[in-house]
Amino acid sequence: MRNDLELDAIIEDYLLGKLNAQEMEAFEQLRLNDATVDHKVVSHKFFLASMDTFAEQLRLKEQLNHIHSEIDVEGLASTLRPHPSRVVQLWRKHKSAIAVAASFVVLSLVSIYSIQHSTQQAERYRQLSNKVNNAIKTQNSLIRNIKHNNATSDKPSTQNSFGGTGFAISTNGYILTNLHIINGADSLYVQNSKGESFKVKSIYTDPQNDIAILKINDKHFSNLSSIPYTIKRNTSNIGEIVYTLGYPKDDAVLGEGYVSSKNGFIGDTTQYQVAISVNPGNSGGPVLDNNGNLVGIISGKPDQTEGAAFAIKSKYILEAMRAIPQDSLGTNKLSANKKSLLSGLKRTKQIEKIQDYVFMIKAY
Amino acid sequence: MNNSLKSSVPTDREVILGILNNSEDTLNKLYKAYYAMVLQFILNNNGDEDDAKDVYQEGIIILYNKIKAGNFELSSKLKTYIYSVCRRIWLKKLSLNSKKAGNITDYEDVFAVEEDVENHEEKDASFAKMQSALDHLGEPCKTIIQDFYIHNLSMQDICEKFGYTNTDNAKTQKYKCLQRLKKIFFQP
Repeated sequence: MRNDLELDAIIEDYLLGKLNAQEMEAFEQLRLNDATVDHKVVSHKFFLASMDTFAEQLRLKEQLNHIHSEIDVEGLASTLRPHPSRVVQLWRKHKSAIAVAASFVVLSLVSIYSIQHSTQQAERYRQLSNKVNNAIKTQNSLIRNIKHNNATSDKPSTQNSFGGTGFAISTNGYILTNLHIINGADSLYVQNSKGESFKVKSIYTDPQNDIAILKINDKHFSNLSSIPYTIKRNTSNIGEIVYTLGYPKDDAVLGEGYVSSKNGFIGDTTQYQVAISVNPGNSGGPVLDNNGNLVGIISGKPDQTEGAAFAIKSKYILEAMRAIPQDSLGTNKLSANKKSLLSGLKRTKQIEKIQDYVFMIKAY
Repeated sequence: MNNSLKSSVPTDREVILGILNNSEDTLNKLYKAYYAMVLQFILNNNGDEDDAKDVYQEGIIILYNKIKAGNFELSSKLKTYIYSVCRRIWLKKLSLNSKKAGNITDYEDVFAVEEDVENHEEKDASFAKMQSALDHLGEPCKTIIQDFYIHNLSMQDICEKFGYTNTDNAKTQKYKCLQRLKKIFFQP
């Protein structure tokens, strides 16, 4: 028994490396010679290793317990415990999923918004009646009242305003223009190239095609000579040279270009796109080809594209003319059948001939 | 509390380096960082705070040993690893107690950690054996052995603590105890 204890002590010292070199050698010799001793060494080694890891584990556990004691378990538990309310439970369970879903929704909303926004930007349509007029129109009832009280003249004073352009469709004073120019106005005048103003009244409006027909209702107006231009029946081809005369300012302005697309604003088949640079006031101006055929009416332009404009196709002019009583237009009206008087003339001659038939529309 | 816990979450790299360097501070941070997660999982799956503590500590120990053993490859976030291990342990406990696991409410991603958990269980069994051997030893042997091998007290300290007249007596006593312990431990 005593020997066993001593042997154990030596084995442990041997394993822990506490023996000096001499003792070590002696002991190793003993190990070699005595299988029992060797077995004891091995088993003790294993035991010590087990003990070591065990001790380490216990120490670690102690450490963890110590850390654990620093945590406010009660507080945490009360917030994390299954909540009686199902909604809260669902929220906790699927917090991350909900977050992902929500961000996805936000993202898609943003992208949808931006897509819409960008298309809006690209395709905003600007009507070419003069913007100034809106402000003036709203004040006009007042102005007119004053005028009526004064009753000085039946000719309106040629004030600051000009609205758009129109052109004669008959010799007896019917004028065709864009509806958006005269929309909401309470009195309308036209002014010819000589600067004479006539009072007009709206006879027919076509909101769908943005067309309005006005009738000169003024005793000073004398009939025009026969209309020089005719209506083109067929649709024009891309590349056809066209020009327009209009009143973006107080004098008539010529704009020339070509038909650039068979469809108008976002594929609108009632319109052409023409490459003419137009300005506010050009609205309602006639678009004519080289032979003096009426191809369309300038009505607007894309907001973002420079040098392009939209023109209502000429067949809608015919439609509008058919919509009013036929005999009212008289015999000398715009038609598709006659030969244009402008055919074969130089541009300058053509303008000379048509300028009497193109009017500035003024809406009050 | 929750916030302060979250704010001190150490990075995974920090944790591994810290544990390899025996940093107590890192262990502290690690423990506090993910405790709430496991507590939530256990509380919502038929467990209480004590279960959470046991499971979580076991999980941390598995991670700790794995890092110490040097074969820890960070194939996922530590958080996911800890969660998966604790989940596995808890599921096993539930089935052992023949409690119905039912629908497990998960809060994190999970990946397979069966091997690690099983390795740990083997080790745990041998620890349990050592513990029961110690328990069977009786006093004062148990304390002497614990003081010497676990708390790393010197023979001198033990001698004073137990009132032996000299260290040799204490040593003899220790070896006697050790012999008995080994006997119990190596019993089949």
